[in-house]
Amino acid sequence: MDSATTNLTVDELNDTVLEIEDFCVDYGWGETAVRAVNNVNLSVRRSRVLGVAGESGSGKSTLVYAVTRLLRSPGVISGGSARLTYDDPTASDVKRRTVDLMAASGSELRAIRWSQVSIVLQSALNALNPVLRIGHEFDELLKTHRKDLKKEQRHARAVELLGLVGLNEDRLSRFPHELSGGQRQRIMIALALALDPQLVIMDEPTTALDVVTQREIVNELAQLRARFGFSMIFITHDLSLLVELADDIAVMYSGNVVEWAPAGDLYSAPRHPYTLGLLNSSPPLSGERHELVGIAGAPPDLSQPLSGCSFHNRCPFVLERCSRDVPPLRILDSSGRKAACWLHDDPTTVPVALRRVALATSPGEPAPGAPMTLAREEIR
Amino acid sequence: MSDVRHEARLEARHLSRHFVVRSGHGFVRPKRIVRAVDDVSLALRERRVTAVVGESGSGKSVLARMLARIVTPTSGELVLDGTTIELGSPRDLAYASEVQLVLQDPFASINPVHRIANSLARPLAIHGIPKAELGDRMRAALSRVSLEPPERYLDRYPHELSGGQLQRVSIARALCVNPKVLLADEPISMLDVSVRLGVLNLLRGLCDDEQLAVLYITHDIASARYIADETIVMYAGNVVERSEGTALIDSPAHPYTQLLISSVPDPSDPLRRAPEIEDRAGQGIFPDVGCRFAPRCPHAMEVCRTSAPPMFEVAAGHEARCWLHESAVKVSVTRREQGGNISTT
Amino acid sequence: MSSVRLPRSPKVLVGVGIVAFFAILTVIGPWLAPDNPSATNFLPNLGPSGSHWLGTTALGQDIFSQLLDGARATMIVAIVAGVVATVLSVIVGVAAGYLGGKTDDGLSLLSNVFLAIPGLPLLIVIDSYLPASGRSNSFAIGLIISLTGWAWGARVLRAQTMSLRNRDFVEAARIIGESRRRIMLFEIAPNLLPVLASSFLFTTLYSIGAYVTLAYVGLTSTAVWNWGTMMYWAQANNAPLAGQWYWFVPPGICIALIGTGLALLNFGIDEFINPRLRAAGLSGKVRRASGLPRRPRLGYTPVARRSPGRVVVTPARPTPSSTNVGA
Repeated sequence: MDSATTNLTVDELNDTVLEIEDFCVDYGWGETAVRAVNNVNLSVRRSRVLGVAGESGSGKSTLVYAVTRLLRSPGVISGGSARLTYDDPTASDVKRRTVDLMAASGSELRAIRWSQVSIVLQSALNALNPVLRIGHEFDELLKTHRKDLKKEQRHARAVELLGLVGLNEDRLSRFPHELSGGQRQRIMIALALALDPQLVIMDEPTTALDVVTQREIVNELAQLRARFGFSMIFITHDLSLLVELADDIAVMYSGNVVEWAPAGDLYSAPRHPYTLGLLNSSPPLSGERHELVGIAGAPPDLSQPLSGCSFHNRCPFVLERCSRDVPPLRILDSSGRKAACWLHDDPTTVPVALRRVALATSPGEPAPGAPMTLAREEIR
Repeated sequence: MSDVRHEARLEARHLSRHFVVRSGHGFVRPKRIVRAVDDVSLALRERRVTAVVGESGSGKSVLARMLARIVTPTSGELVLDGTTIELGSPRDLAYASEVQLVLQDPFASINPVHRIANSLARPLAIHGIPKAELGDRMRAALSRVSLEPPERYLDRYPHELSGGQLQRVSIARALCVNPKVLLADEPISMLDVSVRLGVLNLLRGLCDDEQLAVLYITHDIASARYIADETIVMYAGNVVERSEGTALIDSPAHPYTQLLISSVPDPSDPLRRAPEIEDRAGQGIFPDVGCRFAPRCPHAMEVCRTSAPPMFEVAAGHEARCWLHESAVKVSVTRREQGGNISTT
Repeated sequence: MSSVRLPRSPKVLVGVGIVAFFAILTVIGPWLAPDNPSATNFLPNLGPSGSHWLGTTALGQDIFSQLLDGARATMIVAIVAGVVATVLSVIVGVAAGYLGGKTDDGLSLLSNVFLAIPGLPLLIVIDSYLPASGRSNSFAIGLIISLTGWAWGARVLRAQTMSLRNRDFVEAARIIGESRRRIMLFEIAPNLLPVLASSFLFTTLYSIGAYVTLAYVGLTSTAVWNWGTMMYWAQANNAPLAGQWYWFVPPGICIALIGTGLALLNFGIDEFINPRLRAAGLSGKVRRASGLPRRPRLGYTPVARRSPGRVVVTPARPTPSSTNVGA
């Protein structure tokens, strides 16, 4: 199997929370359908963070909404599978259960949602009901999923959850509009953690916030994760933020995963021209000021037919075959990292910028930027 | 660094904007004055990009709108090319043709029901360009912002263009009346990461090649570092730090600037310490007495809670509004204390 | 790209058909009428027959001719009233919404007063002061009806304008130096088009009802034939009691039909005007063809797998309650 997990032990292989295989999502049906997510393979390991980076229209949000079956019409899942593995607290003998999310019924999905998989959205203001006090949201959630709790216990749990995200219990009697954006997003995180889920999906949770608030929330998330051990899918357009936060990063471009790598490797040694362009698009906070070029052009219109690699018309290293053949996502080296790019097909076509040696995994080796040759036999 | 050749096009002197809000419920709601922008002075010079960095609520957008004169200042004055503007008077076309503002959201700032050609033709027509010249001027404007060939864009509707293209149209619309001052209010924050640099490089290029004075407003301090000739940091309506070039980013003197910079994700610097967690309870509280950052400041002293700090010069061309630098030269004093006199201690 | 395209929904097509039919009738109806609708040339109280499709009145007039002739007055009054009321509501609503302050207070008060006054009694009062020449004039009647029909539209347009007023493109227009009048007419008003069209349709519908009612209570000139006068005469001659359904039912059906047509047309307005709403959706037809569940269910994205030759779809099982996240 051509998978990122080939170099992992069997135990680690089995310890995935979410396994997404050959996943495709269309908007619409038939001839007018637009392919928004195309043959995506990803796995989320237990207690790890999978970062999904991409621009608007890259399919990153569509992917997670479709996996949880929350994508709205006209979204249709047109292929692939997604399996969630979780510890069932109610089961007596076999604790670990695997559910095929694509075959699950409405009631099965409802049983899993929020108790095993929860979602934090970008706009907490839209997600919270404006006419309900915050306490009511917690109460309703606990009432629905934890029928064993009495009213006082639910209140105590709500206070405890608020404490986790650094909020005072007096927030429970407030309305959403009385809170700042950061506080609302903390409430959303507290709600997401209320039922001890195995997997928390964060869809650009900090994009609408100030950078100082973003920093606080990201630090808090790291602490909460260390304490409770939930897995996380973190979606954002901000690659630098992901590098700090995620264990693995998948970079998406117009519906495809174009690169997958451990976070440090992806940052210090990108292998796909798009990842390189994204990294070069954020001006640095230190070092010499010099002109950066970013990525020319604009993302393709998905409703128009595309041939070859979807990035070829913006790629600085474009080859002749790039406009003709679609590059598959393939393993590049022993670390298991993957990229979908024809440049890596032939060692002589790999530009210097895409040959850097990853810093984090091999501290003894030369700094990035030094012309290096990869172990050629590892490039297929 | 300050260069005499860089003539000041637009100057703001002690510009303030206060809003009266009523808080609470019931019949008697106490009036409260919110100082959205408080005593801000700055000069926009030709061929220079002045960056204003601040978070939401810092007053940076109100400042831009006052400079564009679509928000009337409570006090202070505006000087355009050496002429003081009568602030009570209605904003006239002459001012609009000298000072133009580009808004944050390109999807919202261009009327969705009109073609691009219509959006570009209006400013030209308003400013008295004869009909015969409109076509050429519109094409020239689109070429200036690198939308080539221009003909391809004129007949399009806004929803047919991408965010980056629309923001270029928005800049072209502002530029087509040949203003001397371009105010850009967060022009890249709504754009995809991969097209942001293109717009930043465009602004830099216009500034250098066409003698424009550019005000670049942002919450992204890294982008300010990339483009700015002068940097200003605002907090709760005040300028808390300013410097020539990007000195304040490389060696921040004000605790708020330090917090801001340490909060930015920067994986290139793995040894960087996580920011000192300040008192979060102070967030959103802006005292009327003393330093407005004091409730959040990890270094707050007694003096910070009682009197507002003036600007102190921490290095040549680098000032910070913070009592920590009291030993340095005091370059200005808040107007509330001494009527705007500049004194040294 | 053209901003106007034919609507796809069958509902809208039916609506277009009905409205187009009556629009044509407005123009050619009186010419099509086989007889003079006022002439008392025939035997009274004849039932429907080959020579008199809808029979004759108690005075011996051909009812079918009255029906065809009456379409014109009814439609002209409705359209005049619809246009005038819509123009009034745009002027008042957009000005109140955009200018705000004292102007808004004054204009809102005005429209609230007109909303609060019961429309029909006011109509009857104004109408009874009209000279006889005015009562037979469709335009005059239309103007009067529009007076009682603009206020609701003005309220809706004011609310819409207020939400548009602070949009960035309006601010951008101010920045480039547009005048207030131009901003209202050329920047804001085009964005109100869907609301405007919908408001026009319903005002037209209201006007038909108001005109027919005025005629039915005998407050319009009996010299002008419309569907209301037909019912007035039918009532006056005890047609319902005599079982002469062919006298009063056809005008009633016409009124109901045009009302249905206008309401159906309203469904298509957004699709027709707003280019952004024409995104590829999953219509009922496509859903049936692909075997997807008929109705999209919130929180249950359909899964479709293409196996060779046919489409396999996991059926969505009905569930008792909505699937709300977190609740």
